[in-house]
Amino acid sequence: MIYFDNGATTFPKPQSVVRAVCGAVTSLGANPGRSGHSMSMKGAQMIYSCRSEAADFFGLSEPERVIFTHNCTAALNTVIQGVLKRGDHAVISSLEHNAVVRPLEEMKKNGVEYSVAEVFEGDDEQTIRSFRSQFRKNTRLVVCTHASNVFGTRLPVERIAALCRLNGILFCLDAAQSAGVLPIDLSDGCIDYLCTAGHKGLYGPMGTGLLLINCDTMPDSLIQGGTGSYSSDLSQPEQLPDKYESGTPNVAGIAGLREGVRFVRSRGVKSISEHEMRIAQMIYDRLQRTDGVQLYTMRPEISSHVPVISFNVGGMDSEHVAQLLNDRYGIAVRAGLHCAPLAHLSKGTEKRGTVRAVVSAFNNMRQAEYFCQCVNKIVSYNEKKVAFDN
Amino acid sequence: MENKLIMFGSMTPMMRARELLRRHGIRGITVRTPAHLRRGSCGYSLKLRSDSAERAAELLRENRIPFVGVAAADYS
Repeated sequence: MIYFDNGATTFPKPQSVVRAVCGAVTSLGANPGRSGHSMSMKGAQMIYSCRSEAADFFGLSEPERVIFTHNCTAALNTVIQGVLKRGDHAVISSLEHNAVVRPLEEMKKNGVEYSVAEVFEGDDEQTIRSFRSQFRKNTRLVVCTHASNVFGTRLPVERIAALCRLNGILFCLDAAQSAGVLPIDLSDGCIDYLCTAGHKGLYGPMGTGLLLINCDTMPDSLIQGGTGSYSSDLSQPEQLPDKYESGTPNVAGIAGLREGVRFVRSRGVKSISEHEMRIAQMIYDRLQRTDGVQLYTMRPEISSHVPVISFNVGGMDSEHVAQLLNDRYGIAVRAGLHCAPLAHLSKGTEKRGTVRAVVSAFNNMRQAEYFCQCVNKIVSYNEKKVAFDN
Repeated sequence: MENKLIMFGSMTPMMRARELLRRHGIRGITVRTPAHLRRGSCGYSLKLRSDSAERAAELLRENRIPFVGVAAADYS
């Protein structure tokens, strides 16, 4: 199989990640942070080391501010539900994932409001103005994706974060599609919360995510329980990371994530990004020259996009195209709305969705060429079918 | 040589403390805090030589690493 569904999760994972996961299951099988025996302590040490390396990777000096979650959605929910209270207002971009939109919709029941700021591809000034125009007196939080999971469009998040700082508004960055692909530095203090998946551009296993808290406003914890600390106290500890990490941690996942972060660091974010973008640009250029293929963005560049290509073929349903790519050619892509209906509204693709190909560090030009040839064949198939139907 | 315990409420600050102290040439062994010293916590301690305990506590305070307290490791 040729895998271009890396926006959902990257595959394959580096061998070091595979070895770490297996190694954790076989030799770190004790519950960390609970007992004092050697295997438990070894597991706790590994978890701390991952926490510490993740903090360093994102420019955070205090490892305890790195919270392990199940995925990016859990991290985003912690921020959204944990920060916003009745009477508060939030602003999100028009490219947000349902991981952001659905919690906010749910919170409408509790008296929280939100507004959507339009994103203007290729016009950062207008995007910034759009965000500013949505600010109200009671705006408490801006949640913004670093890059659209559907169209790859990058948002000027550094400027939006600075704008929030200026207006006393908390800023939460959804880096699900960008961590490991774009540089992210929390050291300037403008990003208050960073939420990301561990299993995408950081190459960890599924079931891992990160929340980095870079401010003094601590969200309420959504889950309370045993933390292996302060056990005689019936209240949830306020100390980080315990406040947000009740229950047994995903030791094998975290062991894999640590190796994933090391993999990204060893290759370098810039080098990974350039490699992926070369492939994405090649796909884009080939598809653009193919009559019958619709593309929805400008040519991707590192300055404006992550390596995500969304397209459609003629009048075909996107799911049908993805199915043909899988069944006939052994190519894995994702089709449909990609859990981001708002993003499709801006491109008029909300009914049939798009076919999405996302490049990872493990893809190569040969795969991309084959992929484009296969799309060409589907275009021909569609044209013949349309002619026959007429 | 008498030993002392620097006690922590939970694992992460203890790990961070151990790393910090190691960088400053102070070695500590990770142990469970003995029951009579836990003060309601079920935490962990760093066991280190008495003559480095004061300096260690100072470093932790400087680096804002929370710890519960320092006690004599007279239980073993």
